Amino acid sequence: MDASVVELRNISKYFAKVIANQDVSFSVQKGEVLALLGENGAGKSTIMKCLYGLYRADEGTILIDGQETVIHSPKDAMAKGIAMIQQHFSLVPAHTVTENIILGNVRGPIHMKECREKVRRIAEEAGFEIPVDARVRDLAVGVQQKVEIMKALYINARILIMDEPTAVLTPQESETLMRFIKKFAEKGNSVIFITHKLKEVMEVADRIVVMRDGRVAGNLRKEETDERELSRLMMGEDVIPAIRTDGEGTTSGEVVLDVQNIRVGGGKAPVLLDGISFQIRRGEVFGIAGVSGNGQDELCEVICGDLPLSEGKLLYCGRDIQHDSIRRRIDAGIGYVPVDRYRDGLIMNMTLAENMMLKTSFDKKWTRRGFIDQKKLNSYTQDIIREHQVKAPGPDAPAKSLSGGNQQKMVLGREIDVGSTLIVFNQPTRGLDMGAVNRIHRAILEEKAKGKGILMVSTELSEIFALSDWIAVLYKGRVMGIFRNGELSTQQIGLLMAGYDLEKGGGDEK
Amino acid sequence: MKNKIKDVVLFNIGAVVVGLVISACMLLFMDVNPVTVFSKAFLKIITDKYTLGEVLVKATPLMFTALAFAFTYKANLFNIGAQGQFYAGATVAVTLSLSLGEALPTPLLILVVLVCSFLAGGLIGALIGLAKAKFNANEFLVSMMSTYVVDAFMDYLLRTFLRETKGEYLQTDPISQNAYLPNIIPGTRVHLGFLLAVLTAIVVWVLLYKTPLGFRIRAVGNNASAAELAGIRAKKIYVIAFLISGGLAGMAGLTEINGVQHMLLQDFNSSIGSYGIGIAILANGNPIGVIFASVLFGLLSIMGTTMGRMPGLNIPASIIDLLQGIVMLCVIVAYFLRYYMEIRREKKKLQKASVEHA
Repeated sequence: MDASVVELRNISKYFAKVIANQDVSFSVQKGEVLALLGENGAGKSTIMKCLYGLYRADEGTILIDGQETVIHSPKDAMAKGIAMIQQHFSLVPAHTVTENIILGNVRGPIHMKECREKVRRIAEEAGFEIPVDARVRDLAVGVQQKVEIMKALYINARILIMDEPTAVLTPQESETLMRFIKKFAEKGNSVIFITHKLKEVMEVADRIVVMRDGRVAGNLRKEETDERELSRLMMGEDVIPAIRTDGEGTTSGEVVLDVQNIRVGGGKAPVLLDGISFQIRRGEVFGIAGVSGNGQDELCEVICGDLPLSEGKLLYCGRDIQHDSIRRRIDAGIGYVPVDRYRDGLIMNMTLAENMMLKTSFDKKWTRRGFIDQKKLNSYTQDIIREHQVKAPGPDAPAKSLSGGNQQKMVLGREIDVGSTLIVFNQPTRGLDMGAVNRIHRAILEEKAKGKGILMVSTELSEIFALSDWIAVLYKGRVMGIFRNGELSTQQIGLLMAGYDLEKGGGDEK
Repeated sequence: MKNKIKDVVLFNIGAVVVGLVISACMLLFMDVNPVTVFSKAFLKIITDKYTLGEVLVKATPLMFTALAFAFTYKANLFNIGAQGQFYAGATVAVTLSLSLGEALPTPLLILVVLVCSFLAGGLIGALIGLAKAKFNANEFLVSMMSTYVVDAFMDYLLRTFLRETKGEYLQTDPISQNAYLPNIIPGTRVHLGFLLAVLTAIVVWVLLYKTPLGFRIRAVGNNASAAELAGIRAKKIYVIAFLISGGLAGMAGLTEINGVQHMLLQDFNSSIGSYGIGIAILANGNPIGVIFASVLFGLLSIMGTTMGRMPGLNIPASIIDLLQGIVMLCVIVAYFLRYYMEIRREKKKLQKASVEHA
């Protein structure tokens, strides 16, 4: 333990009503890549925020180079050589790469030329190709992440914390990142890599700390363990993945949704979607793959009525619905599980019962003589809680008191009932733990089996492969191709996601 | 839950007491013994029936303006033009009472005036909501400025069509006794308007928490984006919420004209709009809480008036503002204190539970 760069001893952190961390101890050695593995809500980010000075631990001590240290703020942390790359980047989009990197690290008059040279030199050493004068907003997400890394290199960080760095990257970009991490550690630096993806852990980590429910559930060397064991430590149980049964129902069912050559934006506004056509039949899961921000959200909004079309046709069960209000589309049986449940799915300050009547607040079934029939609503809510195994105290609990996975299950339960014919899922399992993901996957396949049409947007290829009958890849608002599941390899889809056309066209268009 | 209600009551009473003590200390600057003055004033209020009644009379219009603010507050909107909507209601109330005063039997007349003053305030409110929905105008500014417009219009009417027959002051003729709101406690000035206000508060609570419309208003208020995706049209809700809010403030016009003043005067009750905002915030937007908060403000106002009338002490009338201001400050601080304590208690509970667990 003599070479511990960072050591955490018995750290506990409480938020009101939740234990974020309890008695967490582990250390990081010089030249080591440590993976912090755990489901969402396991306390990985919190413990790192304590180390980075964003939170103050309620109990416990932090040792840096063997010295007991109190870190009050990120500035303190940086002075000790600790840098953290947050899940959401902290870059100024309107500034250039150089300006972003020197931000907060210059005093007095700025010698732009020198700074630019220094940044260029650091990029070269790290093996990054970065245009130092480009504005950050013009860069791809993968490149933006490199800018974040360079911010850490600029302050000579020797301990680099990365919070879910691969969530926004294509498979190819992830590989580049992994290569960088290995190289960086070889130079005698340390990396703490926060993730919930087992594959990445096995690829890059020297040692793995598994967290569950705010505690350390295991501290293992990579050679001593395997994915199976890690998954069990993470979950506390074995998970049997939901698997689609092949070929069932495809192409035979009637067309539920027929999207014909739709375009959104244009004229003075930016084009968000362009020339999109596809069909979804009953009993089919139509998966849309792509790096987030390539028009998936807009496509979902067009279908559920929140965004108007500029061109094209939107046929639902043979009827053009593009001028129908959201309310009419809900009544017609279109369910929508939005990507951001905090903003669009639930009203966090309201109770679960109230949230369950949100989509159908005009429906007479909830009222008796003009007043809300609380009894009926409560028993309906209780049914959803039971059916989807939601961990909730009851219908009166405010939505915000539930964990993310349980909130998502409530939204799912509601939308499955609303969407009697078509359900749109926009990244239904984003940020959820494996247990919840598994249950949601099962629910999606159940609805498919009932003969509903399902549109599922996801940035996780494994999810797309596990559930979809058809796969379309979206890149910059365009469909790069529509394929049957199984026609393409991960590699090929990765290329399409990055905007490369496959030379041999691949698969027949539907 | 029970503990929570106990906390709310205890903290609020504590805050009021602390506020009174602080304001009492201010009296020391005027070489007045605060203990004797306060106890005298308090004694007067609880022993003298008429003075006690005045508390409720003062509280009545405040309840309406506070409900007006609380109602839009629940839709995350700010109607700070209750003063203007109250004037609109009052103008309509006095016009109808003067012209129909003898023609209709009292109950029918009161009902007509009630509906019309609601509509008058509601019209002003709906226009604000419409400006918000159609042009995305800032409702805060529009509602604030609307007060000045209505005030000027009322002034114009007082100088022309509604001016008293003597033509001496800027006021109307007194309305016929036939149009008075009946007194409900003999020996005081407490009128039916007080009951109406309490009843309205309850109706507002039911509307907000027990009907689909109220549900939609709260949904838009808490998360307009999610509500829109659920097929609720936020713009429509804006107009409806402002209409009802303005109407509530307009009803204060009825209670003040037909219950207290019996005529329309220039710039009368000129601060019930702003006090309404304070009261609504004090009650955290809860309609039932508004009833109690209004009575508290009525009490403070009467206490101030009583002290001002004490012979030989020369306590200025602005003591009322001082009392109300300081007490409100204390209640708001108490609110945050209570929140902070609750969080700490939860943390402690967790810590204890986890230690036992381990």
